[in-house]
This record gives sequence, C-alpha cells and structure tokens, in this order.
Amino acid sequence: MSGEACRSRREFLRKIGAGACALCAAGLAGGRARGAASGLSVTGEPAPGPADAPQPQVAVHDAMWFERLPDKAVKCTLCPRECTVADVERGYCGVRENQGGDYKTLVYGALCTMNVDPIEKKPLFHYLPGTKAFSVATAGCNMECKFCQNWRISQYRPEQVESLLVPPADLVRAAKAQARGALTLAYTYSEPVVFYEYMHDTAALGRKNGLGSVMISNGYIREPAMRQLCEQVTAVKVDLKAFSEKFYAEQCAAKLAPVLHTLEVLADVGIHTEIVVLLIPTLNDSSDELRDMAKWIAKTMGPDVPLHFSRFHPMYRLDNLPSTPVATLDRARKIALDAGLRYVYVGNVPFHEGESTYCPKCAKTVIKRVGYRTDLAGLKDGACAACGQKIAGVWTQDQALAFKPKAKAPAPARPEPRA
Amino acid sequence: MGRRKFLAMSGIAAGAVWARVVGAAEAAKPAAKSRVVVIRHDALLADDLAPERVREVLDEAARALGGDAKAADAWARWFKPADRVALKVNCLGYPTRPAVALGLARAIQAAEVAPGRIVVWDRTGRDLKAAGYTLSDGPRGVRCFGTDALASRGNAGYAAEIASSGAIGSLFSRIVTDEATALVSAPVLKDHNLAGLSAGLKNFYGAIHNPNKYHDHGCDPFIADVCAHAHIRDRLRLVVCDAARPQYHLGPARRAEWQWAYGGILLGTDPVAVDRVGCEILERKRAAAGLKPLEADGRPVRYLASAEQRGLGAADLERIEVVSLGKPWQDVS
Repeated sequence: MSGEACRSRREFLRKIGAGACALCAAGLAGGRARGAASGLSVTGEPAPGPADAPQPQVAVHDAMWFERLPDKAVKCTLCPRECTVADVERGYCGVRENQGGDYKTLVYGALCTMNVDPIEKKPLFHYLPGTKAFSVATAGCNMECKFCQNWRISQYRPEQVESLLVPPADLVRAAKAQARGALTLAYTYSEPVVFYEYMHDTAALGRKNGLGSVMISNGYIREPAMRQLCEQVTAVKVDLKAFSEKFYAEQCAAKLAPVLHTLEVLADVGIHTEIVVLLIPTLNDSSDELRDMAKWIAKTMGPDVPLHFSRFHPMYRLDNLPSTPVATLDRARKIALDAGLRYVYVGNVPFHEGESTYCPKCAKTVIKRVGYRTDLAGLKDGACAACGQKIAGVWTQDQALAFKPKAKAPAPARPEPRA
Repeated sequence: MGRRKFLAMSGIAAGAVWARVVGAAEAAKPAAKSRVVVIRHDALLADDLAPERVREVLDEAARALGGDAKAADAWARWFKPADRVALKVNCLGYPTRPAVALGLARAIQAAEVAPGRIVVWDRTGRDLKAAGYTLSDGPRGVRCFGTDALASRGNAGYAAEIASSGAIGSLFSRIVTDEATALVSAPVLKDHNLAGLSAGLKNFYGAIHNPNKYHDHGCDPFIADVCAHAHIRDRLRLVVCDAARPQYHLGPARRAEWQWAYGGILLGTDPVAVDRVGCEILERKRAAAGLKPLEADGRPVRYLASAEQRGLGAADLERIEVVSLGKPWQDVS
C-alpha cells in the first residue's frame, strides 16, 4: 500500500476516533486541492513552475460487470445504460474508466462523505429502528436527476471531490469502533451502484464481522449484479422517482422499466426492501399515477413493503417549483393505503402522524417517530404489543445477518485482465 | 430564481432571438459564407516542431482568414490588448502538441496581448503534463495550467452555480468564467467513437465538470448546448485545429495506425464550419481507406446541425468557403 494511502487511513482513523465522523460534501475539493502557485517566466513561454494542484485521490481497482469488445472497447454491464466505453473514456457515471481495454473503477474506497446517521434517515423504518448506520459515499451517479439533493457529490467526478482512501477493512473497523456501535453500514448519499465493487467487498467483510449493510439506491442496476449483491447486503431502499417513463426521461435521464425490474428482483430475492417516492408538484403527483404505482407495488412486492412519500424542496436544476404541499403527501398516503399497502409514510414533514408505524390490525401506534427519534414501546418481538399482529420488518441484528437470498446469484462478471 | 440565473437563462433566449432576427435579415440577401482556412505544410509534421515555425504558419493562415496584408492586423481583428485569452487544448488521446499551442500563443501576441494574459489550459494539470506541457503560472510568461489549479476558489476549479443551456446543466471551468475574455479552441482533429467527430466544438466538453453525462445520442444536442451557452458563445473568437496527423478511425484514444500525415491546421472564426470541414476531411480519408462513412458506421455527426440551429455557425459545406494554402485540402492521400 502506498504511503499516500496510509496517510489517508491515518487521517481517516483520527477523524473517526475523534468522533468527528463527517467528511462533509460541503468541503468539496477545498482542502486537498489548492490553487496554482506562482512561478516566474520572462520568455513568453511557460517556465517550469508548480502550477498544478495536488492530485486528488482516485482509487483505481478492477471493475466487475463488463465485457470486452473489439478495439480495446468495453461494454459496462453493471447498470441498464450498458455504456460502450472506448479506451481512455469513462462511462456515464464518470467513475468507471476504460484503461487500455481494461475496465476500472476509480472510486474503490475513495470516500467523499462519511457520517453516522440514524437508520431512519435513509429512510429505513422497518429495519433495526433506533440504530445507527455508518454511512458512506463516493462521487458519481448513473442518473442525472434535476432535483438531486446531493448533486455536489453525485454529479461530480472523483477527481473533483475531496476523498479519503478507506479500504473495506478500515471502514468495518471504524464502524465497529463507534462508541455506541453502528450495526449497519449504509451505502448512500450519491449512488452506490457506481461504487459497486467497494460496496460488495465491504458488505461481505462487514457480514463476517457482525455488520449488516444497506444499499440506498435508485435501483438502476442490471439483474445479475443486483442478485449477486444481495448475497452480501441485508436491506435495500429504492428511490422510485415516479411511475412514468416520461418523468424518468425528462427529469432523470433514465428509464422507469429497469427500476421496476429491480424491484421485482428484490421481491424475488426476498431481501428487506423499502421504497421512497419524492413527490414533486405537477411532475409526479397525480392521483392516477400514484394509484397505479401503489397498486403495482402491492401486487408485485406485496402489501408489507414500506412506502415513503417524501416532501420535495426546490433543489439543483429544479428550483422553479414550490415545496410539496403537505396535503399532497396526505393524499398520496391515503391512495397507497387504499390500494392495500399497510405501511405508508410521509417524510420530510416533522411531527406528521405519517412518520409513525401503526398496526395494520388494531391501528395502535407500534413505533412512534418524531424526526429521527423513535419510541419502540409499541413493538414487542417484532409484533404489535397491543394485539400481537406480526409487523413486517427486520427487528434484530441476528435476523438481518441471517438473511440469505432465495435463489442462487450468478457469479460476477469480471473478465481476466488482459495479458 | 436568482438574478444571475435569470440573466444566464435569458441570455440563451436572447441569443435565439438574435439568431432569428439575423436570419430574417439575411433572407433578403445572399448570406456571406463562413471562411475556413486549411493550411498544409510539411514542417507541421516534424517531431521537433518549433513554436516559432508554427507561428509563421499561423500568421500566413490568419492573413488568409482575415483578408489582411499583415498578420498583426489579422490577429488584432480577433484579440485586443486588454483581452485575457484562454487557449483550450485537448489532451485526450493524441493531444494538441505544445509547439502548436505555444506557436499560437506567440501569434496572438502580435495583437499586443501580453503573454501573461494568455493561458493554455485543459481539465487538469495532470492531463497537460501527460501531453508534454510544462505547467506555469508566471505573471509575465504564457500561463499553462488545468482547471484544477483553481480549486482553491472552490468546486475543484469550477464555477459555483449550475449553468443551464438547452439539455445541459453544468459547472463551467473558472478559467472560462473568471479568467478569460476570449477563448480559442485548439483541438486535434480526430474520430470519436460516439460523436463521430472530435474537433473544435467537442473540445469544450473539457470546460464543464460533467461531460460524462452528455455522450448519449452521439453527444447531440449536448455539444451544441455547451457551446451555445454564453460562457462559450460570447467568448469564442477562433478555432485552431491541429490536423497534422488526424485520426480517422477508432478515436478518441490514440491509435497510430489510424492516423495519417495530413500536415494541416484548420483556422476559422466559425466553429461549426471548422468542424464541418474537419468532418469532411475525415470522411474523405475514411472513404479512401475503404472504411464506411461515419453515419453508416453508426455514429453520424449529429451535433453539427444542432449547432447550426443554435446560431453557432454554418454546417453546410455549400455555405462554407474553404481556402486552401499548400496542398489542396481535399487531398487526403
């Protein structure tokens, strides 16, 4: 391992050890990269001088999920875009690069954000409520949502953000060392599909060390890669951006169908899944669309899948619309409940009754939530304390770590390096 | 919406209106053709090409482009002493050679632009160094650095606010937004596996932070949208395309077996016309080599028509006057 990487690890461990567990995205590239230094030239030609910034860290690692094509091109098979990437070029995500016919990820362990979050912030409401998730991200995303909250990391390339190199073993060690013990590693903030290899390897190592892993994703991933990943992670949250191809094309530069297929795969695998829908005024909030969506979820994934309707605020390239009215969120929640879904939530609205979990049988409060504070008094052994109705979810770490996919996953596609 | 954003957006709209008004006026009279000079000289093929030799070649081309007897008069058409000139080179694959960029910087100084007001740039210092450039930020000499050298200003050297133009939303390099009053696109003529062509317009993908988002559909209309933004459109004065050894297949990575000794430089103020002529040169070479036309090979050069629609220049060879200096420009042997 290089000296530079070791330095970063020490820096990382020092930060974590001090309890300052955030390398915030707001600090983009400001600390590590510096401006051009002055030099002198009197000839009219560039003279030797240190005008180059210190090089940001990129973490090159063999990529999984690609096929070789003639003339040193590759086809990325990780996500539905299936980018054909010529030599020296990158895929749409900006973090996977063809280097002489070999496909590489540039963000293996190059973490630009780390935080210890309540698991409710992901949001995951039916997965170890009240616990912490050690949450990490790298640069990059395979969509371009015009309303992205985290665009200053998701829409950047790895060399444009300040990152620390944190190998999987260090991340697992740091999570375990947290004072109150994180039970979960969360791959989140940007889009973990694009740092698949790191997520895969870290989740596998985490499991061996008693840590679950949750993938907080847009669900834009091809089936073989998703199935393989489910061998390692213990829960998935999918952002279902809308229920129309038009929205996905115009607002996300993506397609709906592959996301729905991912949800079908997750249902088939049997992994704990929650769905979040960010409701954006006039764009994805019609009653008809919401009804169709809720019915599809209930039919495809069953009535126990938690569904969160989240409030939009003006952001990034979509700053010309107002915040979502609470009445719209209420309407959406009612539509989903009427469609048969049992656990439907309202997000980004503090003190809303839709933050809490209610027993689908007796309607008593099972988990009371106010913001990220949780009261589990109504939940006993995974069931309603009042009537005994089983509540769907993952309630213990043993249950989380015991998860195994129903079907055997395909082996990851990782061609041998070129001779 | 902030005032700055409103103005940035309305700038696009105003540009569109301007284009329509000009279009209506020009309908009454024959439109002037866009002039592109293709100068060919064996000296451009030399491995030890000197910047001074490039300057001489460019002076000759500039006189032909501007219709001036003196080179200094030609350069003064496009640059003023108060300008801060940013020469955008292309370091990906076979790069814009340092001798070409430095020769161009010398030529521009004929317009009494001080060398310290000229910067040769690309995305990163690492890219520039890999292409053979020596980085410098001296106050008197020609400067040379990447966008990342301005990282101390925040956002890794890119502007703080998203700039929208058509389908794109990007942060532009601070070298464009903060440093330059005038831009020169100084690319290499080469095939591109997705866009079909990489030349003067696509070169400005290196001016935005997220080019990876804009390669679908042959990079169309994204290339045109990047260049239609006021940041580029209002600053771009000249395209100087290094076509000494163009690559006519399997770009943009360098594949020497698909390059040939054309020994040319393309010079023009109409960036669409320069790209169109460059495209024609590649197509002729491909035909001569028995390769399919770019469109038949699955990568039509769509962005040229979009660029023309945005009022950036002429995409039709019928409306382009190609001035050959040296061997005929159509000779791709």
